[in-house]
Amino acid sequence: MKLNRAARIPILISLSLSAATAQTPTARIVSAANNFLSTLDDKQRQSVSFAFDDEQQRKRWSNLPVSIVPRAGLSMGDLNPAQRSAAMALVSSALSPRGFEKVQQIMAADETLKNTQGNGPQGGRGRGGPPNGRGGGGLMFGSDLYYVSLLGTPSEKNIWMLQFGGHHLALNITIDGERGILTPTLTGAQPALYTANGKTVRPLAGESDKAIALLNALDENQRKQAILSFRLADLVLGPGQDGKTIQPEGLKASGMTDKQRAMLVDIISEWAGIIHESAAAARMAQLRAEINDTWFAWSGPTTVTPGNNIAAYYRIQGPHLVIEYAPQQMGGDPSLHVHTMYRDPTNDYGRKPAAK
Amino acid sequence: MKPTLAAAAIFLLTGTSAPAHRLDEYLQGTLISVEKDRMDAQIALTPGVSVFPILIADIDVNRDGVISETERRAYTRRVLRDLSISIDGLPLTPHLVSAKFPAIEEMKEGRGEIRIEFDAALPGGGPHRKLIFEDRHQSRIAAYQVNCLVPRDPDIRIVSQNRNYSQSFYELNFVQAWAPSSAREFGWFTDSVKPLAALALLLSVRLAAMFPRR
Repeated sequence: MKLNRAARIPILISLSLSAATAQTPTARIVSAANNFLSTLDDKQRQSVSFAFDDEQQRKRWSNLPVSIVPRAGLSMGDLNPAQRSAAMALVSSALSPRGFEKVQQIMAADETLKNTQGNGPQGGRGRGGPPNGRGGGGLMFGSDLYYVSLLGTPSEKNIWMLQFGGHHLALNITIDGERGILTPTLTGAQPALYTANGKTVRPLAGESDKAIALLNALDENQRKQAILSFRLADLVLGPGQDGKTIQPEGLKASGMTDKQRAMLVDIISEWAGIIHESAAAARMAQLRAEINDTWFAWSGPTTVTPGNNIAAYYRIQGPHLVIEYAPQQMGGDPSLHVHTMYRDPTNDYGRKPAAK
Repeated sequence: MKPTLAAAAIFLLTGTSAPAHRLDEYLQGTLISVEKDRMDAQIALTPGVSVFPILIADIDVNRDGVISETERRAYTRRVLRDLSISIDGLPLTPHLVSAKFPAIEEMKEGRGEIRIEFDAALPGGGPHRKLIFEDRHQSRIAAYQVNCLVPRDPDIRIVSQNRNYSQSFYELNFVQAWAPSSAREFGWFTDSVKPLAALALLLSVRLAAMFPRR
């Protein structure tokens, strides 16, 4: 049977789409990684590639701007439009649609910060650039200052890592066969509320709104347990505190109702759901199974103006989970400058061998 | 427009003038871990940009712009001296394990973290123990955070942590299963010997009745 040209094109598109959807998530990410690498010249490939066991590079992430804590790899500003598009396609391939949107909103917040605060060498003071001397150069803010790096060789079978981050963002994505591990990951935003194309954007809206909703759903006795009587000025397990587990505090979810536990799971999904759907589903199944041993603790204001972010610190901690949400009191409105941390202290960077 | 006025105008327009780095506080985050016969602790001290002059005056005492080994040791001693640690009411003496100082430039930018590790020997005690940690270092500008790591030893169980609002005062209550206190070691003996003693008393009364003294 012969098809005319007009009929063949939709069939080819359809076949190509089904081939793409038939790919496993890991195959899709590896393909995007190889596509990105193919757009680079030799020098760029050298800059973006690290050994899988490069501990220095693995831990080279922070909440701080790149002029203060230099990153390595290739910055978005180092890339031409096609390379940048391929880099973002790679990041997108490893994330869920909402996760990728969050990343874009965090980067756009930093662009807003650049436009409102300028981008001088304030933080750099002569040492701003990354170790390879590329990009950065003392600039503090903006979407050009986000770095991509690969640890190990992109593979469907062997373990490797994709890192992407800059100011208020550190995605550490370990790919180990079909496993995808997102811990440790740092998200944040400054400003955590801004306007783009006439719309109000809050990159961490879910993290804020869902948490205050849970607090408001607690009864008086539960609130007494959940609300800590002391101030928390910052993340406890931020950058440089890999693999540590602090004693949990607050209200244990075994003392919550089913509805409250579901709300807690929903808050957790704001972090666990950043990675692509199948990895997120596996992680959420693990965290749901441990929900009764998961704790919720709150410190700070217990009210919020609708449409704004909370100004309170909160922590969610389970056997394989630490989440911290920490507004920053750095001379401005803390609800507009937020750092968050997402960890599995037993499996940071996917170090734990896969269960057989 | 002068730079300061321009900055003020931006703040009024956007409300986002807060800087990207720590500003007006001296963050002092302490992580404590307890073991059978010792405690270990790590203090991470991060000065904010605007309190850096206060701090550097305290560290670089000869004002030569360099933190010498002597100045490092002297400052570390002052930090440890400003701590009060006790177990079950007995004062503990912290022993320095390590101290790492960042470059002055890093601290000036609000990213420099001084990291001091110390330990202290814990004298033997009962099963229920109370560790108190108080930090008074640079209290006017300090933002304290104190936490306990989950014990590696399964025989130690944290019961509670209590703090004041600023976390300058921290109390850790924990239970240790092997506790070598006399109450614990001999508790089973005194409990089991009680019926025996009662029986012996009864027997001796009975014998005394059967064989009265002449």
